[in-house]
Amino acid sequence: MSGWWEWPIAESLHFIGLSMLIGTVGVFDLRLMGLGKQIPLSALHRLIPWGVGGFIMNMLTGMCFLTTAGNQYMYNPAFHLKVLCMSIAGLNVLVFYTTMFKEVRTLGPGENAPLRARIVGGVSLTCWLGVIAFGRLLTFYRPPAYHWCFWC
Amino acid sequence: MFAFPFILVVHAWGMGLLAGSNAAVGLRILGFAPRVPLSGMQKFYPVMWFGFVINAISGVLLLVGYPTKALTNPVFYLKLGCIAAGMVLMNRLRHRVVRSDKLPSGQGKMMAAFSLLVWAGAIVSGRLLAYTCTHLLGDIKC
Repeated sequence: MSGWWEWPIAESLHFIGLSMLIGTVGVFDLRLMGLGKQIPLSALHRLIPWGVGGFIMNMLTGMCFLTTAGNQYMYNPAFHLKVLCMSIAGLNVLVFYTTMFKEVRTLGPGENAPLRARIVGGVSLTCWLGVIAFGRLLTFYRPPAYHWCFWC
Repeated sequence: MFAFPFILVVHAWGMGLLAGSNAAVGLRILGFAPRVPLSGMQKFYPVMWFGFVINAISGVLLLVGYPTKALTNPVFYLKLGCIAAGMVLMNRLRHRVVRSDKLPSGQGKMMAAFSLLVWAGAIVSGRLLAYTCTHLLGDIKC
């Protein structure tokens, strides 16, 4: 990315993708944790592809940032923590779909998810909020040898 | 010095919760996830309001930190306009569409689509504030 307009466009898309992810996956996590119990879980699961779309959009824009200014990220503690949160969230997704999705998807209106699923929901929400927090903090932990200001 | 990044983090959380849950409700009204009972979506309104409140507070704090930067930038007023429209739509949709479990009317769907648009507008204009500012603080240029 070399033009003056590429960063702002990629960042805007990154923020929209973030909202799509937290808005659909986060709402699903909250349902797992007990909010909005009238909603059957499998019905709400239909919104998850929008969250996955947001995630893919953010992987692509994220790759643009990473390939343009790799040093800013590779030696940045906030980036390391962001990737850690993403990895835990990824493992959590794996645990959810391999061990409890079949059981949980039959949950009808008013039914509580089992404790394990509530915990998975809590871990997911915490991780994604962590990803947002460390993503937002990236700017403040740039390695000193590489500081410049792209809005100047 | 440590407060400023923290306020930005809270502002990003609020953005995700407010615009994100609004997107979930908007997509449901537009017909995605049709088996989700609309009235059940009302339970997520407190999440949106929570996002709005923490962003109003963190937003005011950011404004107090760099008043000139925002107030001299027309994009800032565009952002405020998008948020105002988004909040009005959020409540109109609640009363006219979400609360009743009836199939959303064409007008309801239009409102939901417009809601998605203005939230995306609020996010983009907010992000562009960093790129379009002319005065940082007092006479100091960006």
